[in-house]
Amino acid sequence: METWKEFEANELTHSAAHHLIAIHELGAEYGGWARVSDIAKDLGITRGSVSINLRALKKRGYVVTDEHRMVKLSAKGLEVANSVKSKKAGFKTFLIDVLGVSEAQAEIDSCKIEHLISEETSERLAQFMDEHKPAHH
Amino acid sequence: MKTSADKHKHEIVDELNRLMAEEVEAYLRYFQLRYRLRGSDLLIADKFMKAAMEETQEHAAEIATKIRILGHTPKLEIQLSLGGGPVKLQEALTEALDFEQQALDAYKEFLPRVEGDPMLEDFIRKQIGVETEHVQEISMLLE
Repeated sequence: METWKEFEANELTHSAAHHLIAIHELGAEYGGWARVSDIAKDLGITRGSVSINLRALKKRGYVVTDEHRMVKLSAKGLEVANSVKSKKAGFKTFLIDVLGVSEAQAEIDSCKIEHLISEETSERLAQFMDEHKPAHH
Repeated sequence: MKTSADKHKHEIVDELNRLMAEEVEAYLRYFQLRYRLRGSDLLIADKFMKAAMEETQEHAAEIATKIRILGHTPKLEIQLSLGGGPVKLQEALTEALDFEQQALDAYKEFLPRVEGDPMLEDFIRKQIGVETEHVQEISMLLE
């Protein structure tokens, strides 16, 4: 595949990644379960939009719902949410510590690519950061 | 200095703004779904979609009026990008059921916060009745 088409081949959209992360964070205190209304408030979108987006995520096996319309990440969804969060944290640290980017800008830029970079790049980045940890005095 | 009554009023207005956004977004979704239907699906559902568009628009306007009566200006926040391409009636109705159900849940959850308010309690109760009918109607069409 031509390199530029790789971007479109990405399975997870930015919006979908944020839905998964919101469910992960909101559900942390409730056994993983989150309410559509809370997800909507967290993402700043309507409940209608969340509900329709969740339908697509459910179809693809990222989330499960119950009879009260509560939503929870599936094992596959949890894996993706953890991976995206970890990529974001790693890239943000790289931008701040290595490139000297401001924290606010690093937050924005890491958010933009958190769901796009490959596992290989993410692992290499983590390795690089380990090898270049600032020496403690 | 803000009193607790002011804070409560602001929270009520915030919630009304969210409800208005649900209705405006529902209007836009019906608008788009209506023009994505084709052939016999369009013949069957065109009137329904048109009526749903008119009703969601009316609901949004009613909520905006309530916000103005409370001394605020309606604040509409929606982020929407709707996909194109033809859609089957079954799929369109399933999508409509999703957002109508969410609107109904939103009104139901809001009701306890406006109980005792003569203007808003009556209005929210009426909306719950209307949205319940919508959900039942779409569920029936999907059977």
